[in-house]
Amino acid sequence: MTTPHPWVAVEQTVRQAEIDRYAALSEDFNPLHVDPQAAAASEFGGIVAHGPLALHPLLLALERACGGTLPSGTEVEITYRGPTRPDDVVRAELDAAWDEPDGTTVLEVSCRVEEQTVVSARVVVPAGAAT
Amino acid sequence: MIDGALTNLAYDDLPLGTVGAPLSVKVDSDLAAQLAGPLGTRRPVERLPAGVLPVLFLRAVRSSLGGIPAGAILAKQTLRYVRAVPLPTVVTVTTEVEEKVVRRGRPFVRFRFAVRGPDGDLIGSGSKTMVWPSGPAIEEGR
Repeated sequence: MTTPHPWVAVEQTVRQAEIDRYAALSEDFNPLHVDPQAAAASEFGGIVAHGPLALHPLLLALERACGGTLPSGTEVEITYRGPTRPDDVVRAELDAAWDEPDGTTVLEVSCRVEEQTVVSARVVVPAGAAT
Repeated sequence: MIDGALTNLAYDDLPLGTVGAPLSVKVDSDLAAQLAGPLGTRRPVERLPAGVLPVLFLRAVRSSLGGIPAGAILAKQTLRYVRAVPLPTVVTVTTEVEEKVVRRGRPFVRFRFAVRGPDGDLIGSGSKTMVWPSGPAIEEGR
């Protein structure tokens, strides 16, 4: 075990209400997220959620695994791999975890919609913070 | 939709090294609670939750550019959590255009962020790499 608490998968159902809420919180009203007509004319063919909204369950799961607050110096490197659409259920899962010889903990995590990975991330937790 | 949420700022009109005006944000218990659990719920917390940093970055891009370009797509992001901060607090977010590059025919812009607490200490940092909706590769008729 490389984190103080076991990784527990977190799910977030992404409805238009959650997208609208995230738009208000972030003040990002990009039409891809909030304007069905404009989004339909885009390369996505319809509304897609803000990328960080799909990341959100991953951060929640990470906080839980670290005991509630991310240790100082924690780094998260994220790649957005695909769109998340209204009514998708995003699930944050742990793919791999190991301790490096210098004591840092590395986690490879993903957010998936069914079997499709929409977000992948590599998390590095500093030595001494996650043991 | 709020006024000024969008901009048509072109890729070529966004100089490398541009530093946006610092954005000051009050992070109160209500904002934090909305980002401390699944969206649509409120979970009271005493410290800045991890989900606040991406929200601050989005607000900072909008603030520094006068809006977010319609059709911009987030490709990559980094987040670094430097220090846990008790709530409520006022943070200042600074933004810089760190890299502009065309890859596989698509224009990318990377922004660098720094988030500082009331005492000026760094509490978080990171970057966002966005695919720009307008740029030389697009305008050259791909």
